[in-house]
Amino acid sequence: MTDPANTPTPTDERLLVHAYLDGELDPANALGIERRIEGDPALAAERLEVETLRRALRERVPAKPLPPGLKRRVEAAVGLTQARMRAQPSWRALAASIVLAVIASSGATFLATTFLGAPGDRIAEAIVDDHLRALMAPAPIDVRSTDRHTVKPWFNGRTPQAPRVVDLAQEGFPLVGGRVDVIASTPVPTLVYQHREHIISLSAVIDTAKATPSEERRSIRGYNLVRWRDNGVAYWAISDLGSGDLDAFVRAFRAAPAE
Amino acid sequence: MSGEDDGKRFSELVMPHLGDAYALAHWLTGRDTDAEDVVQEACLRAFRALAGFSGGNSRAWTLTIVRHTAYSWLAKNRRQTVVAVDDLEAVERAQPLHGSDAATRPTPETELIAKADAERLTAAIATLPLQFRETLVLRDIQGLDYREIAEVTAVPIGTVMSRLARARRRLIDSIRADET
Repeated sequence: MTDPANTPTPTDERLLVHAYLDGELDPANALGIERRIEGDPALAAERLEVETLRRALRERVPAKPLPPGLKRRVEAAVGLTQARMRAQPSWRALAASIVLAVIASSGATFLATTFLGAPGDRIAEAIVDDHLRALMAPAPIDVRSTDRHTVKPWFNGRTPQAPRVVDLAQEGFPLVGGRVDVIASTPVPTLVYQHREHIISLSAVIDTAKATPSEERRSIRGYNLVRWRDNGVAYWAISDLGSGDLDAFVRAFRAAPAE
Repeated sequence: MSGEDDGKRFSELVMPHLGDAYALAHWLTGRDTDAEDVVQEACLRAFRALAGFSGGNSRAWTLTIVRHTAYSWLAKNRRQTVVAVDDLEAVERAQPLHGSDAATRPTPETELIAKADAERLTAAIATLPLQFRETLVLRDIQGLDYREIAEVTAVPIGTVMSRLARARRRLIDSIRADET
C-alpha cells in the first residue's frame, strides 16, 4: 500500500481528510488527521463539506434501476436460459382484462361524458391535486402494505374496479400501499410506489374515450406525469422523480407479468 | 470445463452484480440504451473469461470488465470523451488541490450541498470528467473501498485518493456555482 503522506503539503492533508472520512486510515494516521482538523479551520471546513456531500450522494442520487428484461437477455445471451423466454402470455392476464373491460363499460360512462372535449387536462389537474394532497397528509396512503395481495383486495367495494397491482421491488420501485382518490366525483384506485424517498402515485382511471393517445408525458407544476392506456384503463403516473426515472417505472409496470 | 459449470459459475460470480454493472455502465455512458449494450457485451466477455477468474472479489472483477467494455465503447463512439481526460488530469495534478474558502462561513456552504436535490446532484456528477466520475461513483454511490477502486480502474491507491478528492471538490464547487 502506498503511504500518501511523506511530506505533508496542504493538498496531501486534504486527501487525508477524505481518506479519514472514508475509513481508509489506520488508527495512528486517523488520530494524526483528527488533531490537524481540530487545529485548522480550512481542514475542518473540508471535512464538513465532504461529509455533507457524501450524505447527499448516498441519500439522494437516484438508483439506476435495472431495465426490465435485461437480466433475462443476459442469461439468454450466455445460454443460461433457452426455453420459457416467451412462455405463458397467461390466461389470467386475459381473464383480468376481460373483467376490467366489463367493469369499464358499467362505471365509465360518467367520466367519459364529463371530460369529453378536453379529457386529459382536467383529469391531469385532478391527478396533480390528489398527489399533492396525499403528500401533505400525515400518510400518503390509506392502506399501507408492500404485499399486492393485501393492497388489491382492499379496493374491493371502495372503487368501481380493483386496479392491476404488480410487485416492482426488484426493479427498484417497491409498492408501499394504495389510496382512493376522487376524480370527477368518482372514486379512483391509486397505487403508491416508492423510489428512494420519492413517492409515485399511479391512478387507474376507467377511460372509454377512443381518441386517447397511447402514451403521453407532461409536466405540471413541477411534477412529471405519464399517461398511457391499457385495456380500457387510463393509467396516470405522477411523481417528483425525473422523467427518466418515471419512464423507467412506467416501463417496469407495463412490462411486469400479469398478476 | 463443461458448459453447465460455466453457467453455474456465471450465476454465482457475475449475476449478483448485474445491478452494479448496469449502474456503472450508465454513469460512464450516460444513456439507458448504451448502458444496456455495454452490460450485455461485458457479460459475454465475463462469461468467456470465467476460467481466468482466480478467486477473490467477484464484484471488483465484474466491474473491471464492465469498465473495460465501456471504455472500448466510448473510444469507438465518442472518441474525444476519453482522450481529453488524460490531459486534464495531468494539468490538475500539477496544481494544488484548492479547498473552499468557506472556513469562516461553513454553514451556508454546507446547507447548499445538503439541499441539493437529486436532479442537481445527478447533473453535477454527469459533467465530471470520466475518470473523476468513475472514481466518485465507485466510492460514493457503489461503496467500493480504495483498494477495490484501484483494482477496477487500474491505478495506484494514491491516484484513487487524488481523483476522489478532486471529484468531490468539483461537485461541491459546481453545486455552489449553480446557486449564485
